[in-house]
Amino acid sequence: MSGPRRIDLAAWEERYAALRAAGLAERWYGGPLSRHVADGDLRLRTMRFDDSPAALRLWNFLLTEEERLFAARTRGVKIVGAMKDLGTVPVLAYSLPGLVAFYPDGAWWLPCLMEDSAGLLPIADSLGIGESFCPVRAMLGAFVSGTQFPAPDLLTCSAGAGCDDLSAIAQRLEALGRPILWWEIPRRRPPEPGEEEVLLPGGSRAPAVLVAFVREELARVLRALGELAGVAPTEAHLRRGVAWSNRLRDVLRELRRLAFTAEPAPLPALELLLAEALALHFCSDRDEAVLVLEDLRNEVRARVAAGTGPLAPGAVRVFWVNPVADLETLNLLEDCGGRVCGTEYLFTHALDRIPIDRPPLEALAGVALADPMVGPVQDRAQRIVADARAFGAEALVVSRIPGASHCAFEGEAICALASRELGVPAIEIEVPPVSDAVRATLATRLEALVETARAARGAAARGGGG
Amino acid sequence: MAFAGVDAGSRTIKVVLLDDGGSAILGSAVADQGVRQAERAEELYARALGAAGLDRADVAAVVATGLGRTAIGFAARTMTEITCQARGIHHLHPAARSVIDVGGQDSKVLRLDAGGRVLDFAMNDRCAAGTGRFLEIAARLLDLPLAALGTAALGAEAFAAVTTMCAVFAETEIIGLLAAGVPPAAIAAGVQRAIAARLVALAGRRLDPPTLLTGGVALIPGMDRALAAAAGRPVAVAAMAQCTAALGAALLARGA
Repeated sequence: MSGPRRIDLAAWEERYAALRAAGLAERWYGGPLSRHVADGDLRLRTMRFDDSPAALRLWNFLLTEEERLFAARTRGVKIVGAMKDLGTVPVLAYSLPGLVAFYPDGAWWLPCLMEDSAGLLPIADSLGIGESFCPVRAMLGAFVSGTQFPAPDLLTCSAGAGCDDLSAIAQRLEALGRPILWWEIPRRRPPEPGEEEVLLPGGSRAPAVLVAFVREELARVLRALGELAGVAPTEAHLRRGVAWSNRLRDVLRELRRLAFTAEPAPLPALELLLAEALALHFCSDRDEAVLVLEDLRNEVRARVAAGTGPLAPGAVRVFWVNPVADLETLNLLEDCGGRVCGTEYLFTHALDRIPIDRPPLEALAGVALADPMVGPVQDRAQRIVADARAFGAEALVVSRIPGASHCAFEGEAICALASRELGVPAIEIEVPPVSDAVRATLATRLEALVETARAARGAAARGGGG
Repeated sequence: MAFAGVDAGSRTIKVVLLDDGGSAILGSAVADQGVRQAERAEELYARALGAAGLDRADVAAVVATGLGRTAIGFAARTMTEITCQARGIHHLHPAARSVIDVGGQDSKVLRLDAGGRVLDFAMNDRCAAGTGRFLEIAARLLDLPLAALGTAALGAEAFAAVTTMCAVFAETEIIGLLAAGVPPAAIAAGVQRAIAARLVALAGRRLDPPTLLTGGVALIPGMDRALAAAAGRPVAVAAMAQCTAALGAALLARGA
């Protein structure tokens, strides 16, 4: 067959049969993509996917997390739900034997949500958490329905300078009788003159006193994890856990670099988003998560070496900010002639290497404080602009998450800085979990962005400035 | 040969026919779009051609734009309203550096460079509160023709406070204001003020002068004045305000 392509579910059926006939080896969670539709992931019917076996493995790994979690429960493995935690508590949990962690907030990215086949949002509605909240409210529906994941043995949640919506939703959950181990994340403020400071992953700085505070909060969480695992956590446990997480982050960093910089784009934005999300929680199987990512990275390496990819050459390079509530929107960007050349999905700090030159808890406290959501929007905007510049972005999209309180004010600040510093068009869009009704207007925005960037490219080529 | 632009908007369809040199407008036409957009566009196109003494064979290329652009089967290609609007406005008003385009169900703000190229843009979402649809709702509640709504607003001695957040809430508010005996002219002025405030918020940093107002709502008397007051700077109504995007599409069809 010809080079890499984006294909729909029906084409995957044929391709899967051909791959199997040719001897495709799969893990226990393998199988045709279409089987997940029967499980309720109806959105898959209209999405387009990368056609590589590595991408199929990624999708299958992601969409079988629920089976993995229920199997873990059956085996007696202790399950930790780490809410509003982008890459910190899972690192601690996987450092200890007999624990798996997962990310309940991730329920809002499940393709079953995007046609509401699992009924998660109506459950949240019925509990008073309606559409004025972020779609992460799907998590509440998932807890109540009990179908997406088993009830965790320990449920943790950060609160403080993070997302107000999630905090409110988690409090509603606690009121329903689900005990939560809360840990506090303070707002990251710049150090005052003369105040001892710490350089955080990603380049921001925080007062040492804040890092010390978060370290003690994480130590409290670690004690609870140790009690759950029945072991006394040691620094050696944590160092091994950090090393393993860094291995995954290293693979992901290479994958991102290749995917963002190669021409033509070697991987669609959709699969790259799934890959990035693995850094948060390892999809309940840390060892397998690394192998899945290495497989995908190897596919991308081969494509880059061969100069091939599933998207046409010359696509407009778009930096994408915030995860989309309807994954199909990333297909739409590519249909409109764009490609993702950089991302900031609110968890960039979970992709940065965890420092190993300091005690692990202190290093993880720094990671937690590097969360773009807990610091000034200017910090976030500056990192986005720096990354967009480094990846050669020609345009920027801020995808607002409907109802998310932080999105109300961040978008304009990010767009304004990108426009001023980079001179590229920057737009805000809002993508609801079920976006079919606004598909035409979303397409107009994305097409117009691509047209505008192409016109700038043409003007620059003619010497008319960019 | 001639060139054609078709703007299949959310409320109306507009057609502009250009001559080969791109300097003469051979014809233009506007019609409500209804639900059978493709058929209505065909009819309007045929009517415009007939009025200009042309037939289809005389047209070298057609570009379609607007929300319904992909439904226009006789167009050779499609471009978004953003690009077409910028092209049309620059053709008519080369000095323009920003454009406020208020249509039936959406609104857009464009920032242009000296060559008419789009530097940046914003579009409304979530609500029709900053669009012509809001004016239609108000006109219906005030029992006024749409055009008379603007005239009434211009004659108002005061304005009523109307929300900018939501067209549906605003509808309830208008009913309440009428029940409280607030003069319709003051409500009309308040509605225009609310739309203007919404548009200026959408525009944010993009309102470089000179600013042109275009789109169907630009034809409502007083909207330019309300916008100028909200923006704190002059806002002029574009020539051919309802047809500037179709004109831009025709210019793009010609390759200009």
